[in-house]
Amino acid sequence: MKRTAMVVLSILFVLAPLVAAMTWEPAWAQDRVIKIAGVGAMSGVVRTFGVNAKATLDMATDEINAAGGIKLKDGSRAKIVTTYVDERCNAEEGISVIRKLASEDWLVSIGPTCSNVAEPLFGILQRKAGDAGDSGLQFPIFTDTAIKPGLAKISEWSFRNVPHEPTMYNHLFKWLKEKNPDAKTVMIGVESDFAHSNANAGIMEAAAKAAGFEVLGQEKWLLNDTEFSTQVGKFRRAKPDIIGIAAHPFTTCGALREMKRQGVKPKVMVGLTSSATLETMVGCGPEAEGMIIPTGFAPVTPEAKRVAKTVAERYKGNVDLHSAAVYENIQVLKMVIESSGVEGKPTTVASDRRKVRDGLAQVKEFNGLLGKVQRTEDRESTKPYVFAQARNSDWAVLFDPR
Amino acid sequence: MSDLALDVVQQALNGFLFGSSYALIGIGFTMIFGVMEKLNLAFGITALGGAYAALLVFQLTRAPFPLVVLASVAAAGLIGLVVEITCFRWMPGDYPLAALMATVGMLFFVEEVIVHATNGVPRAFPAPLGQAMFDLGPWLLRGDLAFMFLVCLAVMVALWLLVFRTRLGLATRAVSQQPVAAQLCGIGLRRVNAAVFVLTGMVGGVAGALIGSAVGNLSPLLALPLTVKGLVTAVLGGLGSIPGAIVGGLLLGVVEYEALYFFGIGYRDMVTYLLLFAFLVFRPGGLFGSAARR
Repeated sequence: MKRTAMVVLSILFVLAPLVAAMTWEPAWAQDRVIKIAGVGAMSGVVRTFGVNAKATLDMATDEINAAGGIKLKDGSRAKIVTTYVDERCNAEEGISVIRKLASEDWLVSIGPTCSNVAEPLFGILQRKAGDAGDSGLQFPIFTDTAIKPGLAKISEWSFRNVPHEPTMYNHLFKWLKEKNPDAKTVMIGVESDFAHSNANAGIMEAAAKAAGFEVLGQEKWLLNDTEFSTQVGKFRRAKPDIIGIAAHPFTTCGALREMKRQGVKPKVMVGLTSSATLETMVGCGPEAEGMIIPTGFAPVTPEAKRVAKTVAERYKGNVDLHSAAVYENIQVLKMVIESSGVEGKPTTVASDRRKVRDGLAQVKEFNGLLGKVQRTEDRESTKPYVFAQARNSDWAVLFDPR
Repeated sequence: MSDLALDVVQQALNGFLFGSSYALIGIGFTMIFGVMEKLNLAFGITALGGAYAALLVFQLTRAPFPLVVLASVAAAGLIGLVVEITCFRWMPGDYPLAALMATVGMLFFVEEVIVHATNGVPRAFPAPLGQAMFDLGPWLLRGDLAFMFLVCLAVMVALWLLVFRTRLGLATRAVSQQPVAAQLCGIGLRRVNAAVFVLTGMVGGVAGALIGSAVGNLSPLLALPLTVKGLVTAVLGGLGSIPGAIVGGLLLGVVEYEALYFFGIGYRDMVTYLLLFAFLVFRPGGLFGSAARR
């Protein structure tokens, strides 16, 4: 009996550390969590943006938590807790959810999806950090998707990590001029009732002119139009060498289909940044073949490949130029939180938010998925990019200027 | 002929043919109103729901296009029945706004179901006639839209035969004219209403599949335009009139295309709704409807 007890005790003595090692989890500081809220479109026709952003957010935070979480000021470690809230691509909804998050104990938010939400949303934040006379929200927002240029300057609490479209299109049209010296004229089709598309059409036009092309004009349609014969008829008559389409996949695909029908074959087709996605391939099929789009994400680095693969296989999302920024933003936030003395206590939410804001403002450069991302004085990013081309129903890298 | 004249004719041709998609949707609105004197704002989404169901069948089986259309017809007929039960049969009969608002709710409910099922991503819809173009001298004619126009006429003839040459049609006319008397004659009101919803749903299924094919994509973005254009078509043609819906749809198409050509996209819809306003003021009964009193 005594011998049996000794054997059992010996086995337990050997197994206990093994079991403990197998079931080890970081010793999370009691009540100390870092709460990060994703805000994006989870309903409506832009739901796919929110779905991909959420999948990438989950992936990035799971990885950090599995590696021990985030180190706080006192040396303890806190787990990241997230939520993902639907802003429906609607300004009132976006403002409402951010007000709610700010009234609770969320430290920082990543989002929103749509520029028409981001613009008024940044307007309710305190314009100048620390201005006692400004009762605007003191809540840091680090945008991943809303891409309309220049929005972060609205408030010192707003930060963005989105591609800088004027830089990308200026480079693209200059490159196109070099590669196609015979091409002289450009025409642009634009979805005129969508803020980003409209802004992008202006960017394309300016970039084309700067590169020495003659811009023959813009043809306009609306976001939910289904028939483009009139606009494409004008393309057909004008015979431009390059056609730029500043529209989201639904109308881009319709316009491309009509171009094929009417035999409109420009030397080059250029698309909207937001259309460099799987969505365009699913919707357009072969009609998108050859279209060139500058994009801030492509799986061209080992890290980019790993993140894209993990998100697709385990989180059922797609990493594209927008959702890739979510991964980068989480890494930057981890770095800022660890270096700026965030305490992560329920009583220090306001001061922690200020530390995150100040920390984000001090970031000058970080490692993105495609390489070094530079931060600008007005809290925007200058990101590496590539020119992607639709080939065989997939996006391939046509030119990598990094 | 000058470029302007060529373009004006081309726009009229395009509008006329594209208007047949409005006509098909308008038929659904007008038939239900004709029988029940109630508006079913979920009709556009019924058509779109049918098309999405057909797309699912296509993706699973790679069935030929006629079978895809049949799947759309069957699914939309079923959705039509669900709409009748949930938005009309279960609603209080003495409160007309209840049914109207229920159909609005159904429109957004089904739209959001589609959004959640597809993440809002447009899906390519089979388009066997998608690239067919006919040269008519200096003008181009889209093959798929021409086909849709012919289908539209065929649907009108089929519905006319059904309404005026069958027992169901007789019952439907009786219910639309004197519902109480029809019931006293032994006609089941519920059964007739359900049959009308299934039937119009099936027409919606044809419309959904052909519109999906003409657009080349299905997207939840289509739900609201189909509803609004269908309703405008029905009002222009005269609520309750099937030939009116067809003429109204074609008229709407032509007006839209000419407005787009002459005034640009920013004014196209303004012209359309001014036309609607003018009809409501000067001819409230529409082109073929009975004269409405102000």
